[in-house]
Amino acid sequence: MYYPEPISKLIDSFTKLPGIGPKTAVRLAFFVLNMKEDDVLDFAKSLVNAKRELTHCTNCGHITDQDPCAICQDETRDSSLICVVQDPKDVIAMEKMKEFNGRYHVLHGAISPMDGIGPEDINVPSLLNRLKDEEVEELILATNPNIEGEATAMYISRLVKPSGIKITRIAHGLPMGGDLEYADEVTLSKALEGRREL
Amino acid sequence: MMHIHDLTLTNYRNYDQLHLQFDDKINVIIGENAQGKTNLMESIYVLAFSKSHRTPRDKELIQWDKEYAKIVGSVYKRKRSFPLEIQMTTKGKKAKLNHIEQRRLSDYIGAINVVMFAPEDLNLVKGSPQIRRRFIDMEIGQIQPIYIYHLGQYLKILKQRNHLLKDFRRNLHADRTMLRVLTDQLVEHAAIIVEKRFTFLKLLRKWATPIHEGISRGLESLEILYNASLDVSEGDNREKITSIYKQKFEDVEEKEIERGSTLVGPHRDDLIFYVNGKDVQTYGSQGQQRTTALSLKLAEIELIHNEVGEYPILLLDDVLSELDDYRQSHLLHTIQGKVQTFVSTTSVDGINHEALAKAELFKVKDGAIMK
Repeated sequence: MYYPEPISKLIDSFTKLPGIGPKTAVRLAFFVLNMKEDDVLDFAKSLVNAKRELTHCTNCGHITDQDPCAICQDETRDSSLICVVQDPKDVIAMEKMKEFNGRYHVLHGAISPMDGIGPEDINVPSLLNRLKDEEVEELILATNPNIEGEATAMYISRLVKPSGIKITRIAHGLPMGGDLEYADEVTLSKALEGRREL
Repeated sequence: MMHIHDLTLTNYRNYDQLHLQFDDKINVIIGENAQGKTNLMESIYVLAFSKSHRTPRDKELIQWDKEYAKIVGSVYKRKRSFPLEIQMTTKGKKAKLNHIEQRRLSDYIGAINVVMFAPEDLNLVKGSPQIRRRFIDMEIGQIQPIYIYHLGQYLKILKQRNHLLKDFRRNLHADRTMLRVLTDQLVEHAAIIVEKRFTFLKLLRKWATPIHEGISRGLESLEILYNASLDVSEGDNREKITSIYKQKFEDVEEKEIERGSTLVGPHRDDLIFYVNGKDVQTYGSQGQQRTTALSLKLAEIELIHNEVGEYPILLLDDVLSELDDYRQSHLLHTIQGKVQTFVSTTSVDGINHEALAKAELFKVKDGAIMK
């Protein structure tokens, strides 16, 4: 034990955060010791509040401090359009774009039998209920373009298809502002597959 | 012609620090057993494929009690000289091409082409199907890196699917819709893999047949067949393969659920070699099995030359002594002057070929090299 207990506890807490190893944790802990007391109190409060006051919207699953969330309550948004994403951070990314005026559904993960995650373990059942109760015309599947995200999108599409709701999948392809020659072969072949007529 | 100009090893197996410059034709590595000949050959293989042919565990390549191992080589291909670097730590590895880290293996493999012929390759014919699948997968991969991507995706989906099939047995709420989704995903990559294997086999056959005839002095004719776990044949295109696979998966669904694993697919396919119409694996003599393995390796060299435009680097690890005089000189004659070759052997006595007379000699003793 090289450190007095209060600081070694703080170091331990920092190590629990993603992307932070032992060295960074020590650096952060010593930084906190040198911070103004008010700032430290604010920091501690924000941590506790973020955990205590945020819940998941019972309708769409997005993180929120009011239930239903601001997006679900907003009457100006198009409720016939639902965009399905894996993670609350994906909603933020979509919102930053300011182009999408529909609602969201956050799955909180993707189906992965290997990790013991089935459709019931993510927000698939609540999505199906929403589709029954609300007047939805189009479901946009915006899960990640990897094996699990793709499988989840295909699964939802198989379940929803019989209801006649239009189902779309976001496009895969080249990043904007990039050069074709630097694209990897897989992305390029996906982009070619998804080409459209002009 | 494609070659490795120099190689630097750090903490690699029994080498603390080693820097070598190579001849662009033939390099002979001589040493007693357990001095580090194979380790040196292996390091060149790892530089090309980012993994060893001897072990799936990268950690074993790091010298005992060291934190990392590094292989750096400057190589020459397509009239360009560039560095390749593989760095392994206990946490993972990095592959750098021209100083830039390559996140995807498929962007790295194929930077240089290497063909390894080691004693275990003599098992290519009589060994388990896994060895033959590995052979075909590695070879296609270095000619067509995107194949590695599809194979990787396929294996990952296969793992997911097998887990789900096991869930059925354990009566966890597994559902059939999900199973069919995974089947569709699996078939998509399976069809690409099988199609690319067919194309490769056609090429391999084209080169291996005349080579085998040459080595056997016209006495033997070699045929190579793809033994698929279901009824696809070599003329089939991707659409046809896809529809055959889909039908087959429908047919075996119940059986797969019962057994709890995926029963068909390229991960269960195999190659069969016939010499003069007889299955060499079962009925061939040891000599025939060796000749077949040698023909396949030599065909690989020609095939890569044809596809890539340059001859690959050849690693002959302790195999020259395993071949009889005629096969030895056939091999050396084929590569002479056009393929950069690394030969490891305990002694050059008994290998009397002009190709070795001009070779660069390296003597290995206990992790150090004397010229």
